[in-house]
Amino acid sequence: MIAPKTRENRLLATPLVLYLLLLLGFPTVLNVFYSLSEVSFETLRTPRLSGFGNFTAVLSDPAFWRAVWFSLRFGVLTATVEVALGLFLAVFLSPLLQARPWLLALLTLPIMIAPAMMGLMYRLALHEFVGPLPYYLFEWFGNSPAFLSPGWVFWTVCVIEILQWTPFALLLFHLAYSSIPADVREAARMDGARGWRTFRRVELPMLMPTLALAAVIRLIDGIRVFDNIYVLVGAGPGGSTTSLPIYIYTAFFRGGSLGPALAASVLFAIAAFAGLFLALRAADRRAGA
Amino acid sequence: MQSTTISATLAFLALATPGLAEVTVLGWPGGPEETALRAATEAYNAREGLADADRVELLFTSRDGFYDKLAADLAAGTTAFDAHQIATYSIGRYAPFMTPVDLGPAAATTFGESVLATQQFDGKQFGVPTDLSLHFLYYRSDLIDALLADADAAARYTEIAQEHLGEALTPKAPDEWTWRDWAATALYFTKAVNPDSPTRYGAVLQMKNLLFNIMVFQSLPRAYGGDWTDEAGKVTVDSEAYRTGLDLYKMLYDAGATPPDSTGYEFAEANAAYASGQVATMVQWNAAAAELTDPEKAPTVAAVTATIAPPSGPEGRFTHVHSLGLGLNAAAENKEGAQRFLQWLATPEAMAIYARAGGAPGLTGAALEAVVGERPDLAPLGEYASQYGYVMRGGTSANALAIYQLQAAEFTGYWAGTESLDQALADTTKGMTELLAGK
Repeated sequence: MIAPKTRENRLLATPLVLYLLLLLGFPTVLNVFYSLSEVSFETLRTPRLSGFGNFTAVLSDPAFWRAVWFSLRFGVLTATVEVALGLFLAVFLSPLLQARPWLLALLTLPIMIAPAMMGLMYRLALHEFVGPLPYYLFEWFGNSPAFLSPGWVFWTVCVIEILQWTPFALLLFHLAYSSIPADVREAARMDGARGWRTFRRVELPMLMPTLALAAVIRLIDGIRVFDNIYVLVGAGPGGSTTSLPIYIYTAFFRGGSLGPALAASVLFAIAAFAGLFLALRAADRRAGA
Repeated sequence: MQSTTISATLAFLALATPGLAEVTVLGWPGGPEETALRAATEAYNAREGLADADRVELLFTSRDGFYDKLAADLAAGTTAFDAHQIATYSIGRYAPFMTPVDLGPAAATTFGESVLATQQFDGKQFGVPTDLSLHFLYYRSDLIDALLADADAAARYTEIAQEHLGEALTPKAPDEWTWRDWAATALYFTKAVNPDSPTRYGAVLQMKNLLFNIMVFQSLPRAYGGDWTDEAGKVTVDSEAYRTGLDLYKMLYDAGATPPDSTGYEFAEANAAYASGQVATMVQWNAAAAELTDPEKAPTVAAVTATIAPPSGPEGRFTHVHSLGLGLNAAAENKEGAQRFLQWLATPEAMAIYARAGGAPGLTGAALEAVVGERPDLAPLGEYASQYGYVMRGGTSANALAIYQLQAAEFTGYWAGTESLDQALADTTKGMTELLAGK
């Protein structure tokens, strides 16, 4: 017999469950179905089930693995730098931000800009003939790196991502750092801990959950990067800046390979789910320890 | 009071409802094509005796990803529009969701057969060609005149040509240029090759991994006899013609004759580079002419910029040509009304309005004469299209866009040095074979 309270809870949760089923469940099922089918724009309503052919095609496509490698490299590198830089800024600027909280709003402005707009902005800013950065470099040094040339483009897109999203990490760390109780620091001071030692032994362990959260969010965001890179340089010469989402988009819309594109998206979803699951389990174990 | 309210409500609804029987047309947004289509539509709607069911209402979405969204809409059997934008290279992709259109007898005299053909697929007319796109060679007439008048400069030019192209070429007038003459000129006007050059770069190549850039490139291999397939349908891009074209681009890029981040350049970036006055030549879409010859928009180069058809090769002079146009949605709710609008658009009267409002139709005969006084740039457009225009075999097939995309990925990889020429051509051949077979 179901308790009245449980029945009530289920009833209240029904709209949310239906909403999720409709908006997430249906596209997911459709996505999986199409990924196992021979399908094109002409046969969207009459796809033919074809087994795992699309998955085999994707897994044997060198461009897919290049995209995986790009996304991983980009995601890990940018997440690491953003988290390290965000943490450093949060600690270093803490006295200033405590005294003048409005500065935080100023520092977090970049995250309010749409990534596609960011790409467009840098497309202009880095152009050799109209961009301010190359202009001043030519004025002062007689030369300028070609920021979007094959040798530079990976580092350029990383720096753009880092500039935009480090403020997000800063925001998280600032809130976590400010919420460390004053008496904890006071107790550490009473025990003789100072500066780096207090940070290393007291503050950092207390910031670890935030650090893990920031790293996971930024890693996911980095791996699924699309708009700013696509607007800035497209898929890159020879596909050199093709992230997984760009691979999926170009295969689906430009290449008309709907089945393989959706198979790639299913693989991406499985990998993301597995990664998240493992990360959360590790976090749970750590919390339980 | 109550009846007044009801009457007012009914009147409001009558005005606010966009007319259930109207013809809805999805246009190409955000450029001269939109302005021109709006002007033509206004004139059409103002015609005396036009039935309510034939009034045209225009719809525009964002230009970014326009064709991708259109593909998804058409595949879903949308009835949101009766007629819609199409382009030569995407007709094959959309043809299954479209109805061929009868443009009437006036169309051939307005556009000429070669321009009409740019909106045909499988022998059927799928659209009215409203705007023609092809390529011009833009060059700095002041620089070329100075080069031709200076014997010392000519000697240096020959030295550079010998060193980089293995041939002692001499400076020529642009209308005599082969692609190798153009390359020699580009090298001569490059600071990295010739420190005395008045410009930093001799050319600006659009090498971004983007399908439209391959359309700009492929007039070069075409001049050497290149084609996508032979008559039997076998893919032929791994040919001397393509190798020559790809190598010439690569040589210019490696020599520094084009900006080093050209691998990220498309239409806008190339125009900005040329307009800065630091570039001597550029193969570019005709759409750039208005901007680059306008003293307000390009003050440094407007007065000294000249245009001509792209250089020639052993097989002749060629320019890629395609048209934008409007065709019928197979699921249209008002197909008859849309058909009548498209027929009217194909008349000299409609095209005169369209051209005067900034459109770029490829006109011929009396239709051209009626507007050429106000739009002199339309004369070479029609002339180049008919004399030098070509469409590659398979260039309007269902997977034409995917083929351009494949070539863009592979060719830019070679230019940027991320893959070898043999690998790029082998991958292109393999991919094209599958795409042309409909896989």
